Amino acid sequence: MMRTASLWCPDWPVVALRTRHPELRSVPVAVLGHGERGPVVQSVSAEARAEDVVTGLRRREAETRCPGLVVVDADPHIEARAFEAVARAVETFTPRLVLERPGRLSFPTRGPARYFGGDESLAARVLAAVEETGIPDARMGVADGAFTAGLAARAAPSGAAHVVATGGSAAFLAEWSVAALGDPELADLLTRLGLRTLGDFAVLPAVAVLARFGPVGARAHRFACGLDELTAAPSEPPPELTETAELDPPATQVDTVAFVAKSLADRLLARLDALGLGCTRVTIEAETEHGERLARCWRHEGALTPSALAARVRWQLEGWLTGAADLELDVDAETTAGLTLLRLAPDEVVPAGGRQLGFWGGDQAAADRAGRVLARVQGMLGHPAVVSAVPQGGRTPAERVRWVPWGDPREPARPVGAVAAPGANVAEVPPWPGTIPGPAPARVLDPPRAAQLLDDDGRPVAVTGRGDASAPPAHVRCDALPAGGGAVSAWAGPWAHDLRWWDARSRARCARWQVVVAPGVACLVALSGGRATVEAIYD
Amino acid sequence: MTVAALPRRDEPARTHLEAVARQASPVVLAGDQVLPVRGELGELIPALRRGSVVAVGGESGSGATTVALALAAAATTAGEWAAAVEVESARLGLLGGLAAAEAGVALDRFAVARRVPPTRWATVVAALLDGIGLVLAEVPLHARAVDARRLAARARERGAVLVGVGAWPAEAALRLWADGTAWPGLGAGTGLLSARELQVRVEGHGAPVHGVVPLARAG
Repeated sequence: MMRTASLWCPDWPVVALRTRHPELRSVPVAVLGHGERGPVVQSVSAEARAEDVVTGLRRREAETRCPGLVVVDADPHIEARAFEAVARAVETFTPRLVLERPGRLSFPTRGPARYFGGDESLAARVLAAVEETGIPDARMGVADGAFTAGLAARAAPSGAAHVVATGGSAAFLAEWSVAALGDPELADLLTRLGLRTLGDFAVLPAVAVLARFGPVGARAHRFACGLDELTAAPSEPPPELTETAELDPPATQVDTVAFVAKSLADRLLARLDALGLGCTRVTIEAETEHGERLARCWRHEGALTPSALAARVRWQLEGWLTGAADLELDVDAETTAGLTLLRLAPDEVVPAGGRQLGFWGGDQAAADRAGRVLARVQGMLGHPAVVSAVPQGGRTPAERVRWVPWGDPREPARPVGAVAAPGANVAEVPPWPGTIPGPAPARVLDPPRAAQLLDDDGRPVAVTGRGDASAPPAHVRCDALPAGGGAVSAWAGPWAHDLRWWDARSRARCARWQVVVAPGVACLVALSGGRATVEAIYD
Repeated sequence: MTVAALPRRDEPARTHLEAVARQASPVVLAGDQVLPVRGELGELIPALRRGSVVAVGGESGSGATTVALALAAAATTAGEWAAAVEVESARLGLLGGLAAAEAGVALDRFAVARRVPPTRWATVVAALLDGIGLVLAEVPLHARAVDARRLAARARERGAVLVGVGAWPAEAALRLWADGTAWPGLGAGTGLLSARELQVRVEGHGAPVHGVVPLARAG
């Protein structure tokens, strides 16, 4: 089995953020990522952890526990770019780096450990080099196999290494909880079966585990026994699987190359798919006009999907093309000119486990075609320019839909119905009080267009503190309406909203009318702070 | 025993096999080349022919967007994908996502290209027609007839439906006009916007059809 070293920077999202924004040092920081049910805390700084802010909390809960907490959305680009500096520091010891995700990398130690006089001495040198780049708290683990090495890094004290002796993996792993397998569903099941530690799990016969838990369980069982992931030696992929694209004219913008990379990734994985192979490790290579060659290897748990591969290529390109300027690195390994060539080479392939398609058909070919076309339009207009609507909770037409960029997870930011407390009678909880009733308007003006809402005498309509209108609306003027508006023939309202009245800064009071302007144009008029706007047209 | 298990290769067996193959070979039926339109609008236009251009016109607020969304719903209920193209600096604002859902569009198969510059409008629409069953394209001001004809040709070639919303500057197989809406549910300070009566005029190859489409919705 391959002796492997793993380097781990705890709370990497926070560390990366602080290299970018030095003013956030010594301030409690939490980074939000995607959870199963909306955004949750993904990573916290030591200051925030001291206040009991842990991962998995919702934003509000985290802010309650630690007043003054700075909450930032996760940005994988910044994380990957900042990690490039660490990768470069480690690269001075061994060229065979494998990046797993920003914050974690591994490399085989056989050669370098012999050269530098043993695993301990190699680890100490690597850690010293990483510390020189300004990263505080990196840790290393050395063990047989990548999984054990990763856990050894987690067992290491800050700024030091934990070395598991050859053959000692099983003993080292026995005490770890099954949650360390990184598969919450399986871990939950094992715990309920009474198997709390990896040691308990490892004593089961492998054949029985395969029969009961399938390939996923068998793989986890190999990990628990201290064996490496792959039973069959990973086959060397034939060279013609490499996908190459020449860039003419040379590209200096990340977006340009990322677009090419997306189609390369699609092609590569389609060809692997045809051979019944999945890719677990891929080398991204680039050449510049001046003949510099850059290469970096990325690894992925399970098999890479086209979008996951394209995201990794993009991170890497950002590290190469823009990373140096940001991080003030010395530029010897840096690009000095535009990229002329991009190559994706599968480094390690495994037989594909197969993919279960949806049971009730769904035209997979049509979905693939649509996905390709939309990706192409995203390449032309930019990723956020192609969106898809997700209904969510809210009061106004604009609030009740979230537009997510195409390809991103379709999750609402606010729940559609009110969340009932556990045990409460759900039927008694009305969803979103004050929602504008009726059909949804087909045209939403975002931002709302300025308008005038006048009564019979030509005075602006006002709303009292109790939510009553001073007079019925008689005229609406707005340049978004045909002929600039006109007389009101029918109306309903006002619906008065007093949002977040407990918070002086974000409090918003607003009243809304449904108004039909002659000849039959219905619109939604809002009045807030004495200013009237047209928010939507029922076109 | 093994001889009996071998397939027969005599003349009647071959003709029988050919007959079976003819039955199993994919034949595109006329019914598959159209997208059936459901709901009240379906009584005026029973179906959209694939590869055709439909122009939807009407003043702001007259209901043109609602008609267009009903056509998009026809595509997604047939299992196709639909996409909309919004032109930058649209006078009309953005498409309402909830209104699309209420019209019956499956939102997970409906993409919207936002704020497309008028100079790239034709390119984007052409790209979408390559792989998407129905493209709802807002027509920018001063769109050229040349571009429109080229897009119509592309739609015909790919078997996609192109719905032009606004002033479509070229020929169209079907023209729909939204002629205004009545809101019988709303009075002076009473009632709500609920029921909706949409005047739609259809001009196609046959005689023009007028119709009032009642779009009743739960309030």
